[in-house]
Amino acid sequence: MISNTFENVKKIYKKHAKIINIVLIILLLIIPRLMPNSYLMGIVCRILMYATLAGSLNIINGYSGQFNIGHAGFFLIGAYTEAILATTYGWSFWPAMIIAGIVTSIVGFLVSLPTLRLRGIYLAIVTLGFSEIIRIIALNWTDVTGGPMGIKGIPSPELFGFRISGPVDYYYIFLIVGILFLFITNRILKSRVGRSWISIREDELAAKSLGVEANRAKSANFMYGAFWAGIVGATYAPYYKFIASDMFTLDEGFNILAMVIIGGQGTLIGPFVGASIATLISEVFRFASQYRMVIYAILIIVMMWWRPQGLVGAYDSILAGDDKSLKKRKKSITQKVGDN
Amino acid sequence: MDYYLMQLVNGLSQGAIYALMAIGYATIVGVVGMVTFTHGEVIMIGAYAAFYAFSFFAENLFLGIITSFAASWLLGIVIYKVCYERFFDSPRHIPLICTIGFSMLIKNLAQIVFGPNMKAMPQPIDLGFINVLGVRINTIQILIIVIVISLSTILYIVNSKTRWGIQLRAVSQDKKASALMGINVQRTTMIGNCIGCGLGGVAGMLLAIYYQSILPTMGGVLGLKSFISSVLGGLTNIPAAALGGILIGVTENLGTAFLSNSYRDVFAFVFLVLVLIIKPEGISKKVGGRP
Repeated sequence: MISNTFENVKKIYKKHAKIINIVLIILLLIIPRLMPNSYLMGIVCRILMYATLAGSLNIINGYSGQFNIGHAGFFLIGAYTEAILATTYGWSFWPAMIIAGIVTSIVGFLVSLPTLRLRGIYLAIVTLGFSEIIRIIALNWTDVTGGPMGIKGIPSPELFGFRISGPVDYYYIFLIVGILFLFITNRILKSRVGRSWISIREDELAAKSLGVEANRAKSANFMYGAFWAGIVGATYAPYYKFIASDMFTLDEGFNILAMVIIGGQGTLIGPFVGASIATLISEVFRFASQYRMVIYAILIIVMMWWRPQGLVGAYDSILAGDDKSLKKRKKSITQKVGDN
Repeated sequence: MDYYLMQLVNGLSQGAIYALMAIGYATIVGVVGMVTFTHGEVIMIGAYAAFYAFSFFAENLFLGIITSFAASWLLGIVIYKVCYERFFDSPRHIPLICTIGFSMLIKNLAQIVFGPNMKAMPQPIDLGFINVLGVRINTIQILIIVIVISLSTILYIVNSKTRWGIQLRAVSQDKKASALMGINVQRTTMIGNCIGCGLGGVAGMLLAIYYQSILPTMGGVLGLKSFISSVLGGLTNIPAAALGGILIGVTENLGTAFLSNSYRDVFAFVFLVLVLIIKPEGISKKVGGRP
């Protein structure tokens, strides 16, 4: 039933793609003018931020089938790089953001190196360990990162002389980052590089035998995902004006992972859906915040039992792992290739 | 010099606990054939079971071992039903994510049920010191090593001499062939999972006694360490996993002796990266499971 509705929505969207996109963008641009309430706009900002962050994890987990569960570590590196550049060295926000992205992607490359020869689970453990280690370093390297006190007073970004702060204005920065992310990622996924990622996810051996350089593609994929995590981290730091290492625990990483899984891995819209659901859950259950993670956990298990591809995930992929979808997949392949 | 010898002894006793955790982990991965992320939470539940047994009944060591083993065994059944039973034919990332979800569930429920704060663990035996060639060894360390060695011996005997053990080894080598030989594969897999969990639970109790404290979030790093230990044995080789555990314990304690204590958890990770670079398939030839 969900699949039918989803297919119908997809059809309608494909028919009127241009009009819907323009209407959506205009709607998104005037949202802060419609509700200049900073509490509500704060929620919208968090949804947008987490959507982009979950999207960057989705590039790694959903599109190339690698398994990164320590995404909070990359988020931390982006945030700390921007904060250090802005407070200690007095850089302006925009170049610091780009540098944060580049630094994070270099770190992502280093993390992916020892595991290229190995199967996915080792990468999962390396990323998990990396996330925890980078947090310990941020907690203990007091000279640079401020140690347990964190970094305070991160200056707000300036654009043409205007100082952007507060959720109503900062919304536009998150929006621009999100739209840029969607646009660039969409282009990349349709290019040769993106198709090689998807082919690795579906069947690495077949992809290799067709001439895809799996190792290079996987490394590039990891770097690209880490780059956007760094960018989001860099926009996060001046928004809250304060960062400390306990904002980037393993739970935060699992939180991001939960968003991707609930929304649907391997789709561009999935992380957005997941981030909206997760943020709304955490707002609704604000009075009982310790039950929040319990609800996430139950949602993840329920998802794995009944819809492993997520709420809006594709049916014809390896991500939807049960027999029914496998049959469908075979059917769709035979439809495409012809019976043999 | 004596200081470093003492750190070596500390490392050996802590490594013995890690070894027990890693033995449990390797048993699970070997029999079930899937990697688990719940092991840290199993260890934590074992520690809490012993904690409540000590505080409500008696501070008796054997009672603690039996309670923690039984509690983790029961948790193992639940884990098997939730995370593995349906997914033997699915792509491998689905049960993996399921175990991540389950570990989140247990960790957060534990924080609600047991309270988020650190508690003092009752001590079942009196603390004493023995001087050996100028190195002070305390009774808890001796106790830990004795318990770990005897449990490993029991596991070895079960594995090699009894009907259960033969079934377990058959299932871990080839599920289809053992089903054809009339072994109940589902039940045997569950028992193997439960044995691994039970050993993890006892390790949790020992660790809580060793540190004299107990915390609902203690599982995360421990699960990571038991994985890292078993990487040395290609995830399924039990003796190599035990060796890995001891090596990690020694590395950690010597590392903290030379450097600072706040980087304690970093050493295990460095160990993992070194193993992955130098000998990624572990020191054993056979690579079982499908991690």
